[in-house]
Amino acid sequence: MEKVHKPKKVFVQGPISPDFVAKSIASHQSKTGIGAHAIFLGQIRADQKEGGVVTGIDYTAYEEMAEQAFHDIREAAFARFELTCMHIYHSLGLVPTGEISLFVFVSSPHRRAAFEASEYIVEEIKAKVPIFGKELTGDSGHVWKENT
Amino acid sequence: MLAEIAGLSDELWNAGGSMTVGQFRAQVLDKYPAMRDKKFKIAVNQRILDDFVSIETPAEIALLPPFAGG
Repeated sequence: MEKVHKPKKVFVQGPISPDFVAKSIASHQSKTGIGAHAIFLGQIRADQKEGGVVTGIDYTAYEEMAEQAFHDIREAAFARFELTCMHIYHSLGLVPTGEISLFVFVSSPHRRAAFEASEYIVEEIKAKVPIFGKELTGDSGHVWKENT
Repeated sequence: MLAEIAGLSDELWNAGGSMTVGQFRAQVLDKYPAMRDKKFKIAVNQRILDDFVSIETPAEIALLPPFAGG
């Protein structure tokens, strides 16, 4: 029988803490079929813009469509790669420079699937999920971020 | 960024008959000329559609600026 993956909550308010990442790793110790985890963390970079240095990104999303897009990406990744489990978290609201806004965590019996799935998922998120980011610069300026 | 131009985050759009996504885009640009130099896609009921597709009303239409997740 096909395994059904229930929609999961992806969005978190504000930055994703390193403590949360550590706890997520720890919670997989009982899943002993896993031989490889791959983790991708997106961190806010202090880019130099015309209005000054980026101090943080204020994220918004077209949430309902975004949740569906995340769900579709999850399903596609489970179909393509030999994965035991998968977790995706993305920030909404303000994430200051140097903090984490994206946490992709995939686990597999073997490393190859974990490496490949994590890259696939991150690229899909950047291209297909309606998330918008206002890069804050200086006192009151901002530039809208655009994925390339 | 588009909401900043329009000065609102959502509005009711009177179709006055059937129209395609492209016709809707033209109406939006007529009303908000400052959006002409902005890139955006149009999602109808949360699906991004090409300009030639007809919009079945009533519909939830969203203007989506470039994505910036990650």
